[in-house]
Amino acid sequence: MGDKSDVLQGTLDLMVLKTLEAMGPLHGYGVARRIEQVSGNTLSLNQGTIYPALLRLEQRKWIKSAWGVSESNRRAKFYSLSLLGRKQITEEIENWERIATTMARFLEPAKYECAIQRYES
Amino acid sequence: MDLIRILLSRFFALFRAKRLDADLDEELRAHIELAVEENLKRGMPAQAARTQALRSFGGVTQTRERYRTQREIPLLEMLAQNIRFGLRQMRRAPGFALVALLTLALGIGATTAIFSVVDAVMLKPLPFPTAARLVQVGSLIAATGKGGSASYLDFADLRDENHAFDGMAAFRTGGLIWIGPHEPVRLEGVAVSANLFSLLGTTPALGRSFRPEEDSPAATGGTDPVILSYGLWQREFSSDASVLGRTLQLGNQAYTVVGVMPKGFQFPIQAEPTELWTTLAIDARGGANALTVQRGAHYLDVVGLLKPSVPIQSAEAEMAAIAASLNKLHPENRARTIRLTPLLQSLVGDLGAPLLILMGAVGCVLLIVCANIANLMLARATARRMEIAMRIALGASRGRVLCQLLTESLMLGLIGGGLGIAVAAGLVRVLVRIMPVDIPRLNDAAVDIRLLFFAILVSLLAGILSGLFPALQASKLSLTGSLQKSGRTSGGEDKGSNRLRSSLVVSEVALAVTLLLGTGLLLQSFLHLTKVNPGFNPNHVLTYQLDAPAGMQSDQIPGFYREVVARMTALPGMTSASAAAALPLTGDHVRSSIEIEGQPTPLGSRSQADFNIVEPEFFRTVGTTLVSGRDFTPRDNVKSTPVVIVNRALAGLYFPNQSPIGKHVRPGIGNGYGPGEPPMREIVGVIEDIKQSGPGVEAEPEVYVPFAQCPWDSVFIAVHIATDPEGAVSAARRQVTSLNKNAPIYHVKTLDQYFSDSVAEPRFISLLLSSFATLSVLLACLGIYGVVSYSVLQRTHEIGIRMALGADSGRVVRAVLSKGMVLALIGVTIGLAGSFALVHVLSSLLFGVRATDPLTFAGAAFALLCFAALASYIPARRAAAVNPMTALRND
Repeated sequence: MGDKSDVLQGTLDLMVLKTLEAMGPLHGYGVARRIEQVSGNTLSLNQGTIYPALLRLEQRKWIKSAWGVSESNRRAKFYSLSLLGRKQITEEIENWERIATTMARFLEPAKYECAIQRYES
Repeated sequence: MDLIRILLSRFFALFRAKRLDADLDEELRAHIELAVEENLKRGMPAQAARTQALRSFGGVTQTRERYRTQREIPLLEMLAQNIRFGLRQMRRAPGFALVALLTLALGIGATTAIFSVVDAVMLKPLPFPTAARLVQVGSLIAATGKGGSASYLDFADLRDENHAFDGMAAFRTGGLIWIGPHEPVRLEGVAVSANLFSLLGTTPALGRSFRPEEDSPAATGGTDPVILSYGLWQREFSSDASVLGRTLQLGNQAYTVVGVMPKGFQFPIQAEPTELWTTLAIDARGGANALTVQRGAHYLDVVGLLKPSVPIQSAEAEMAAIAASLNKLHPENRARTIRLTPLLQSLVGDLGAPLLILMGAVGCVLLIVCANIANLMLARATARRMEIAMRIALGASRGRVLCQLLTESLMLGLIGGGLGIAVAAGLVRVLVRIMPVDIPRLNDAAVDIRLLFFAILVSLLAGILSGLFPALQASKLSLTGSLQKSGRTSGGEDKGSNRLRSSLVVSEVALAVTLLLGTGLLLQSFLHLTKVNPGFNPNHVLTYQLDAPAGMQSDQIPGFYREVVARMTALPGMTSASAAAALPLTGDHVRSSIEIEGQPTPLGSRSQADFNIVEPEFFRTVGTTLVSGRDFTPRDNVKSTPVVIVNRALAGLYFPNQSPIGKHVRPGIGNGYGPGEPPMREIVGVIEDIKQSGPGVEAEPEVYVPFAQCPWDSVFIAVHIATDPEGAVSAARRQVTSLNKNAPIYHVKTLDQYFSDSVAEPRFISLLLSSFATLSVLLACLGIYGVVSYSVLQRTHEIGIRMALGADSGRVVRAVLSKGMVLALIGVTIGLAGSFALVHVLSSLLFGVRATDPLTFAGAAFALLCFAALASYIPARRAAAVNPMTALRND
């Protein structure tokens, strides 16, 4: 099915968790806007993809949800970290860093080779 | 833990789908509104604020779809949806559904029916509690590997000296004349060793089993015990329990009823049901002449019950060792060896190969059916391209589309399977009726739970096989291309689909040509069989069997038979009559050792020959030519010279390049001359070889002796009747009964029927294979027709242009024709190559034709190409009739 959210899946979950950790209870739109802002709009994220991710986290009982009222007096569903989710964040971060370091190891030599090639041509 | 939590939450979501959907909708609406508010706050105009909000959200429908997939167990929910949609699709294209379902029903029905026969005959365990450990103990002549029956003394030694078996039992079949309250009637009986029933793990439904000591006449006294079959008990004794203890007069012997076996119990398992069981005590009477005291009388079938942990190989090794020591102890007998065969396997015997070949053939038909449905589905998928593109555009994932199409083909498969089961139920009944009669357990063939399971499995398989390729193909659809092209003219993805359809047709043709080839070989072999000169003329010969009446002295028996034969002259249209101990093709052959004049040989090392006893005129009656010398005459009796007639095979083997007339041989059976060594007999005649075991089996050396010199207690009467042999049956019966009312005639049959039974199996297999081959060729042609006419449809535009540019219709026909023929040619080539590797499995069934017969190969190829040409010619004609103007205007 190769669409964007699949590639982002693991990272998106962590971003959502970190957002909720930093901001406290937040509705879906808020989570999406916060991620866009933090990423400095470098991430072309369909805001819709946030909802399957939220559901996924909720099914794992890492976050919980409740209907509430927004600043502008609109009924919206608010998400917040559960106890389990708070513990999980540490683990998820470790996971992510492991992957990131591994990826970096793969990418570094490639950069180096590229430079050589450019020099030769 | 995670997984369980997720699954639980998904499962419960299934039941709250409506509310959760509403929740999601509200949440998403809130999201958009929040975004719009923020955009408005930044000073965007209202319209732009909404557009911007929707754009950054992405597809609302896709999100909802993906959210739902995440929320529930997608399979269940989707399945229900897919099925509803699939049913709508079927209703919308009833023609497609009808053709597909009919083809599937035929394919699945035929496969299930054949499998039910294979299952009943070969696979179902035998109906005994100990079935898994039962083996047939075959006692074979070591030098030739023939035989299989054991003598009583050998059986007793094998039984007593082994450590591998929990028990060993022996039995022999033999009819008994019941002289009861009404006309004497012959009942199918089996004499068994007393332990047989406990070996099988069964007990009578009523009364008791045999006691171990009842194998000996000393224990039974004057009356032996008898156990009745349930059927006989119902029929003749109206299920009356007081039958126990009653005395029955069976032949010469009085019996006491001690038990009734349970309903459905059969042993041995054979086509003709056994009606009563007696003990081997009957064979132990007669002092030194009793069958049970002659080590050379190999007449018993032996079954053994292996100990639970003993493998059959080690048991066989032990048996071989015992047999070897017996051979040393009794050098006067031919050396024997023991072969153990699982009882079920020994029952299936030679039938295994033909049944498996039929199974393979019907499997081929099923594959062709699947290929055909796949082809139809591909065509449908192309026609539905617009719809599928629309679904993808509206947010269906490709996986979802694939699932939808697979569900549809599975539905087709299952509905087709349901119809197929109905077809199978009817077909099984037909099969059982036309199958050769003597296949044990065939009558049990029926569509039962196991078969339903099999049919469902086959249906699912058919559904997946026929749906997978089309679904994969359709889900790879390029979106924009399809929507733009309005799904009519050929595009890039059509090439793949066309290639797929072509390769499906090629495989259909390959399978069909394989079936056609196999059928051709078997049909030829069958024709060869029926054309063989069997050495006798089966036409116009009425035969029946007759036992010597109870109480008749052995020296009176030949006279009785001669009188019966003489009475036959009264039958209308009768030209000659005679009697013989065995008739060709009846399977009742006796073998005997034989010693040749001037070549003294110890008893254990003598060669063997088929042994038969006949009255004068026998050869004339069955139409066998007397090559030289004379027939027996009424003057050949115990007081005249012992004489013998031999067949050409024996004469050629022992008296090559000389006349055997006047020479002497000594057959090992000659009971007209009392105990001691049988006499040397003078050869007085040589007859043409008779194929005793069927037209496909070479004649063995054979000797014939006259009845008057060798009384025998059971006999076949043969009467040649020039007019209507079957019309003479009741007259013949009357004649015999008036002579002696205790001698009922049985197994009344014309020699023609025996002959046709002997080729029943090859005829049956060629018949079935022919129908499978016809079906497969038809389906393959349908496939070719489909692909070619589809390509004509796609190329109407191009053909129109060509014709407008001056191509004549002949050229168009040739172009289209060649497309079909190329496919057929590739298929035929692959099929022939495959067949060449496969045909050796047929070898054992072939007679008079080699498995790699080039003519048959060429014939099958030619026939299939002809049909393919026909199938492509119809669309070719249509292409040639294309009106260039209409074709071009349509675009």
